[in-house]
Amino acid sequence: MRNQGFNWHDPILWAQGLGVSVGVFAASMILGTVIGIFIALCRVYKVPVVAPVLLVISEFLKNSPVLVQLFLVFFGVPVLLQVNITPAEAAIFTLTGNTAAFIAVIAISAIDAIDRGQLEAARSFGHSERSILRKIIAPQALVVAMPALIGLAVNQLQVTSLISAIGVIDLTKVGQILNQRTWQPFIVWTIIGVTYFILSRLLAAAGGRLETRLRRHMDWAGL
Amino acid sequence: MIEIDNLHKKFGDTEVLKGVSLSIAPGEVVSILGASGSGKSTLMRCMNGLAGLNGGSLLIDGLDVSKPRELREIRKRCATVFQHFNLYPHLSVLDNITLAPMDVLGRKKAEVEAEAYALLKQVGLADRADAYPGQLSGGQKQRIGICRALAMQPRYLLLDEVTSALDPEMTGEVLDVLAALARSGTTMIFVTHEIAFAREISSRIVFLDDGVVRADMPTDRFFAEDGGYGDERIARFLAKMRNK
Amino acid sequence: MFWDGFLVTASVSALSIVGSFLIGVIVAFGAVSRRPFLRKAARGYIGLFRNIPFIVQVFFFYFGLPEIGVYIDAFTTGTMALSIAVGAYAADVLRSGIENVDTGVIEAAEVSGLSRFKIYRRIILPIALRVSLRPLGSVFINLVLTTSILSTITLNELTGNAKIVASDTFRPFEVYFFLLLFYCVLTYLLSLLINLWHRRLNRFMRGAE
Repeated sequence: MRNQGFNWHDPILWAQGLGVSVGVFAASMILGTVIGIFIALCRVYKVPVVAPVLLVISEFLKNSPVLVQLFLVFFGVPVLLQVNITPAEAAIFTLTGNTAAFIAVIAISAIDAIDRGQLEAARSFGHSERSILRKIIAPQALVVAMPALIGLAVNQLQVTSLISAIGVIDLTKVGQILNQRTWQPFIVWTIIGVTYFILSRLLAAAGGRLETRLRRHMDWAGL
Repeated sequence: MIEIDNLHKKFGDTEVLKGVSLSIAPGEVVSILGASGSGKSTLMRCMNGLAGLNGGSLLIDGLDVSKPRELREIRKRCATVFQHFNLYPHLSVLDNITLAPMDVLGRKKAEVEAEAYALLKQVGLADRADAYPGQLSGGQKQRIGICRALAMQPRYLLLDEVTSALDPEMTGEVLDVLAALARSGTTMIFVTHEIAFAREISSRIVFLDDGVVRADMPTDRFFAEDGGYGDERIARFLAKMRNK
Repeated sequence: MFWDGFLVTASVSALSIVGSFLIGVIVAFGAVSRRPFLRKAARGYIGLFRNIPFIVQVFFFYFGLPEIGVYIDAFTTGTMALSIAVGAYAADVLRSGIENVDTGVIEAAEVSGLSRFKIYRRIILPIALRVSLRPLGSVFINLVLTTSILSTITLNELTGNAKIVASDTFRPFEVYFFLLLFYCVLTYLLSLLINLWHRRLNRFMRGAE
């Protein structure tokens, strides 16, 4: 197996790994955002029992290593519940929960940052809570939360690398496979590292552009 | 001796000092007056080396502020008191005062501390040596600022709008300290808005207007009919300050 | 077994906290330096190590170093990699702390004749540290959590040992759940400690300017 050079198939392997990493990232980010916002709303509207329970779980997820969370879900849950879980399912499930925990914190503080007076004004005009949430709270909270969200996204992209430890063939796992076969650690890990680096920068740049667009929109609204 | 000759200072495209010439002898108490934007604070920042020169020269005891090695020597002889106090927030009052004398002048701790206590007593804050700046009022902070400057035993004391950031009821306590100091023979250079105080304390007034020295004369003459008041622009400035 | 793992985690964490702090201080001062080259190098360092997953960095060193004839054990490699990576995060926190030090205070130190080095050491760094203590604390808490990744380079710290126990006992759920709880308690204690320290250091810091 060892000391074989790179071959024509390797770029395809690289691309597959890249696809898996991006796919898991996107899936867990989207699902995590939905669940995270749900947690935040439970907290903002002070839903009894549900809100505190969700917040405890989210604290738990924020303050423990993602790697161990992955092990718990992939190795622990199947034994406990007698079910089969594929590595990809375990990965998406775990990262979604993890993302949700961080999204909840960001969303809660963004909503808290909105001026109370505005909400009272909106209520006095007779808007429903639902339309206040959609038309007044959400757009402003999004702008406030943007920098934190970008930071979280870049971070979560890197966290996806840990799913290689439960056997998902992502970019990092591809690196391990190539490393073992070619025994060229510097070349392999530099390529893998540069790929992540470029992905992170692209993500941050895209987020930055979105943020300026949202802000411009807000300025117009302000006029 | 402070000798300023044809001093120019620019910030970007705007020239703030347009050829200022001035000399101040040891023992003098000079007030530099002028409207905001006249360049008086910039002149002071040139004297302690916080702002570089764009032309002309500024010598203190023959040492050139624009030469780093000589500036280091100048800073041992010149101490500054700031408008916003600029005390070190993480150090106690005593450490604020003793840091530079020990570190820059290389003096002994026990000696410097004894002096610091004496200074604190002079300004009426003997019991606050162990306090931190955050626990003091504005007037107290500025009195500590003065102590910190005096602990360097400077030949020249530069005072930049030292009462501007204070509430009116605290201005008095600081001015009292300064008046006592002026009588002791220290060379003092004030940049100030306090016309009444400048008149009382200083022996000489320098009036800056739009980056040049418009008047430089003994205090008595400046506040007389044929002195400052004889100049239309100065008269207007003085009237404005008085009405405040 | 658990105790052994804990000792490894604790010592890697402690050493890396010291290492990353030292790197952080040096890189942070580089990032605010007046020399364009130093600034660029320091900011490049921060950008590079924050945008590459830690596991990739660890593999780079763990598999790469023997290739160039450097044979060090997993413990040393892990501590080094953690110090380098977390150093970038610490540097970024400290950089913003340094940039937020009141310029008036720095000017006061300058005109009093203190040397540049002394101003950094006695004035700027202590003030920046007080301001940055909380964010720096969360960087170090993250460091403790990140030590778990060192189990992938055969280091038997808490997580590495747990893996062994889980497969020996066939009770992976209980083992990993207990381990997660333990990390939570550990980081909670650490955050208490940081809060306490923050309050002590900053008790007189307000409104000094």
